[in-house]
Amino acid sequence: MGVGNVLMHDDALGPYVLESLKAKYDLPPEVTVFDAGTPGLDLTLFLTEFDALIVVDALKGQGAPGEVKTYTGPQLQEGALPITLSPHEPTLREALMRMALVGKGPGDVFLVGAIPEVVKTGTGLSPRVRAAVPAIEQHVLRELLRLGATVAARESRHEPDLWWERPAA
Amino acid sequence: MTRVTIDPVTRIEGHLRIDVEVENGKVKDAWSSGQMWRGIELILKGRDPREAWFFTQRICGVCTTVHAIASVRAVENALQLEIPLNAQYIRNLIVAAHSLHDHVVHFYHLSALDWVDVTSALKADPAKAAALGESLSAWPGNSRRHMEGVKKKLESFVAGGQLGIFTNGYWGHPAMKLPPEVNLLAVAHYLQALDYQRKANQVVAILGGKTPNIQNLAVGGVANAINLDNPSTLNMEKLAHVRDLLLEVKQFVEQVYIPDVCAIAALYPDWLGYGAGVRNYLAVPDLPLDTKGEKFDMPGGTIFGGDLKTLKPITSFHDEYFRDNVAESVAHAWYEGSGELHPYEGETKPQYTDFDARGKYSWCKSPRFQGKPMQVGPSAEVLVAFASGHEPTKRWATKVLDTAGSIAKVKLTPAVIESTLGRHAARAVRCAVLAELALKHWQLLVDNIGRGDTNIFNPPTFPKGEIRGFGFHEAPRGTLSHWAVIADGKIKNYQAVVPSTWNAGPRDGKGQPGPYEASLIGNPVADPQKPLEALRTIHSFDPCLACAVHTVDAEGREIARVKVL
Repeated sequence: MGVGNVLMHDDALGPYVLESLKAKYDLPPEVTVFDAGTPGLDLTLFLTEFDALIVVDALKGQGAPGEVKTYTGPQLQEGALPITLSPHEPTLREALMRMALVGKGPGDVFLVGAIPEVVKTGTGLSPRVRAAVPAIEQHVLRELLRLGATVAARESRHEPDLWWERPAA
Repeated sequence: MTRVTIDPVTRIEGHLRIDVEVENGKVKDAWSSGQMWRGIELILKGRDPREAWFFTQRICGVCTTVHAIASVRAVENALQLEIPLNAQYIRNLIVAAHSLHDHVVHFYHLSALDWVDVTSALKADPAKAAALGESLSAWPGNSRRHMEGVKKKLESFVAGGQLGIFTNGYWGHPAMKLPPEVNLLAVAHYLQALDYQRKANQVVAILGGKTPNIQNLAVGGVANAINLDNPSTLNMEKLAHVRDLLLEVKQFVEQVYIPDVCAIAALYPDWLGYGAGVRNYLAVPDLPLDTKGEKFDMPGGTIFGGDLKTLKPITSFHDEYFRDNVAESVAHAWYEGSGELHPYEGETKPQYTDFDARGKYSWCKSPRFQGKPMQVGPSAEVLVAFASGHEPTKRWATKVLDTAGSIAKVKLTPAVIESTLGRHAARAVRCAVLAELALKHWQLLVDNIGRGDTNIFNPPTFPKGEIRGFGFHEAPRGTLSHWAVIADGKIKNYQAVVPSTWNAGPRDGKGQPGPYEASLIGNPVADPQKPLEALRTIHSFDPCLACAVHTVDAEGREIARVKVL
């Protein structure tokens, strides 16, 4: 699952990696690729349908822009939720915690992403975040392998469908 | 005088900030500030109007569907394009199901903890909680067995240190008043609501192809090919599934959500007196019943000064009263200039200064109708529908007022809708009405297909020269409008006037406060370090400002910063 706003530069990292992987690899039918945008609790619909979840997202945390970080499910779900003014703050953690509460979430969760440099209205990744994409893809492929999915390189690669980066005609 | 700033610092990329001045335990003045610049409209300039909706639904992660709908309606309005009946019904089913999902999530998962103390539920007697629940409705999930199970679950969360999910509530705050049994009942429904919000969203996914970010729209209709016997199109099996899901959600709304809102309103009667704020109301008609958008199942209009007799209806997708009276002020917003502009002439030229309560202090513009601030959202919609004599709204509003009144042993009038808890009650009324109407539109769709009509799309053609169009939608948070100027088939200007801007916008050039600001004045604040009461009123609007960006905060552990000066 790729998470992020494709119209906010580096926040598009998740959907970008998804399209890039789809262009290079044939994924088996038991793997679903899902561009979730910037979801709220509507994410829970998706979370109940799968045994395992790999999330790619821009990450806020300690470190330099472009630095790749990974987290496990338990790491994501520990600690307290913040008090918010808008109830629609990004809710990946909240959605996972709520589904765990009723025992319906994915058993296996892995998050990989990079620290963004530019998050404002506009399209295209910054050079440092774009440079992190190959390492993130390797993390996703390794995780798929660990989960038992067979991933084969495409015989003929096509260009990734980055529709949001296409300039206005 | 104490100055309190509530600023959720865990998100770098923008959110809502509220400043209040507290004197003698009450809010004397308030400022609402949107902390993020969106300006997504700029990305649309020069693009094909037929693909605008695909971009606009990325404005916001939670409200994707609504920006898609408003966008296609704006372009269709510019072209004076009629929409096939099937397409109207399919869109109506999507918007009704989206609202049902959104309102259930808002009440149970995003704001219930303002009123419900989870730790108090641990002291509840499950048998008494079940008896109370069974006195309120026939819901099968209120049994003693259910209550015992939920209490046991809560106890195991405490033992396992898993209460993190509930830590965004203020446990033990003196403003928490519910008895333990009501708290236990509410926690049980909080857990059950997770299933029902999902069922409502499943309707959006089936008809929209995917959620979030539906795939089935087109300027001119929808892309859901209809063939009742074909497994790859919209067929009888999928339609039957949609109906089953809607029936389940309707039962939850009627037997759980409505009684819960009544009980909370009755047990917090003070909160039917706080939080009215701006008493001018705006709602637009929705759920069109014809191809032109001139007949609707939900009425629209304006009301001024809380006087239902001032109702002036908004009656069609080309309504001139609506079109000609909307303007946005940037007097106190971080944009160039200080005047008001109609959305067709709207500009998005950022000019950040810093937070200056007397000058510019928000990224939100201040939308005005005939120069007046307007409250939008479920309260506006229910008051407008009530004043219009809308039968289902009158019936459900009366039921809620009577039920809450009988628990509290007082007579409640529609005037209590103008309050913090009245906003929650109005949202529940809207849900009950939409659940009925969704099933009506399901039947209309099936009957229309049964008559042999499978048309879903009227192709658009763009003329040379300049055309303008506006599209509105009564979204979960209120009136949403998109405004498009199209020249030679390309977008020349595009503005979205969103519900949370109507409600969260700053003062205008005349110094008139926006609805959030006005609603906080007079609110009690018992403890400035824990301004639960201010959160109650702000949350009652269901604010949505921060969702345009999703940078997951895997390490952040800091809660909202409450700064007291």
